[in-house]
Amino acid sequence: MSQNKWKITLKIHRQKEAEAPHFDEFALDVDPDEYVLDAVERVWAFMDRTVCFRHACHHSTCGACGMRVNGVEKLTCITYIRDVTQDGGTLKVEPLRNFPVISDLAVDMGSLYSRLDTVGARSVLPVTQAEAEKKPADWPAGDEQYIRLADCIECGLCISACPSAATSSDYLGPAVLAGAQANGLKRNPELLGLVDTEDGLWRCHSAFECTAVCPSFVDPARRIMDLRKQVFVERFSRVFRRS
Amino acid sequence: MDNKHNLPSPAKFWTWFNPIGRQTGGWAFILNRVTALGLTFYLFLHLVMLGQLAQGPEAYDGFVALMHNPIIIIGELLVVAAGILHGLNGVRIILTTFGVSITRQKQLFYALMAVAVVAILVFGIRMFTA
Amino acid sequence: MSAEIRNTSAPRSGENSWLWLVKIVTGPLLIILILVHFIVNHFIGQNGLLTYADVVAYYSNPLIPLMEILFLATVVTHSLSGLRGIILDLKPSRGVLTAVDWLLALVGVAAISYGAWLALVIASRS
Repeated sequence: MSQNKWKITLKIHRQKEAEAPHFDEFALDVDPDEYVLDAVERVWAFMDRTVCFRHACHHSTCGACGMRVNGVEKLTCITYIRDVTQDGGTLKVEPLRNFPVISDLAVDMGSLYSRLDTVGARSVLPVTQAEAEKKPADWPAGDEQYIRLADCIECGLCISACPSAATSSDYLGPAVLAGAQANGLKRNPELLGLVDTEDGLWRCHSAFECTAVCPSFVDPARRIMDLRKQVFVERFSRVFRRS
Repeated sequence: MDNKHNLPSPAKFWTWFNPIGRQTGGWAFILNRVTALGLTFYLFLHLVMLGQLAQGPEAYDGFVALMHNPIIIIGELLVVAAGILHGLNGVRIILTTFGVSITRQKQLFYALMAVAVVAILVFGIRMFTA
Repeated sequence: MSAEIRNTSAPRSGENSWLWLVKIVTGPLLIILILVHFIVNHFIGQNGLLTYADVVAYYSNPLIPLMEILFLATVVTHSLSGLRGIILDLKPSRGVLTAVDWLLALVGVAAISYGAWLALVIASRS
């Protein structure tokens, strides 16, 4: 923690039921090494108890505190204030895009969760099937009893950042396509009809915004491209199987 | 007021072109979409204009002389620039689609855009000095 | 609250891997063809094809109209399938999409036929 304090203005998006969206401003003294979520919590604790936002774990595991900070999607519990504003600056905090606003900063991410279910995205998978950055060299090959959490924390930042998702509510979205990729077409051939569609793989136009905002090394864009490759291999081999 | 304003909607098509809050790949997407629309418009304009060829030497040569003014040349340079930007952006999309440089897509984009700037400058100098 | 988007509707196959293959194959082909188109149209002779006589002389080589027609067909296919992709992002209804498909097909065939006719007319004048 640094000794100096910054004076910042927190502009929080407010919208209760039947209310027009607007911003409330709060003047705060913050430590630049605090996180954005800390500042939002301080407003709630000491200035306005009606500010509504989602948060739980405070260490980038639960995926609840995704918001737009100065227009860019951030997991606010791991976003340093010093990285997104300066002394005397403004922090504009808005809810994620492309989800209905429940209240203020909280959105309903039900569509994301149900779509993850639709493609059978796993929250836990055998280590042997996970794409780990560093695989343990002496891992018993094929031993499926060792499991690990999937990388995706279902925070919804990618769905909010994707320019293609802004116009089509039926687009499965980066996290869901990444979940399908992690399952693999080989293991789940029925995914082909879901992802080889206009609202699946082909809505992606390589903007890489999902990968840019992903706080959890899912790299959805890479997984979408890999799934495209899987789809092509499957489509081609079907042509040859038929003939 | 309901909460629908935050949902995806075709009416939000203008957000495709908004560079604020976007990052490298998002700017590439905007560039690709703008140049795509521009080039499609030019393609059909070009075809209609070339119809002058069918009307014989006087019509075509008169038309070419008419087109030889700075405003049209700036327009032509814009078309050339759009073609170069769209083509090199396409190279980025194809390479990353097949997994090449996918974890280095920003660097790939900046490298290709550097090539684009040089190519546009070369064309621009040639077109205005010819 | 958001029942209408929770029920994932059955995905529509308005786009698929084959249509996308068309774009990704015509793309690189266009880069090559546009380079040829550009070099021959702007660097042949002193300053390229500037007069009607230049153009007619250039089209006297039978390979040229063939190359230009191939270029035109590729560029029209690429541009209209790309335009369709952008329209798809606007979530057209099934009926509108069918109309768009017919319209784009009509425009594409008309543009290619017109261009081919023009190329052959010029070629026949040499």
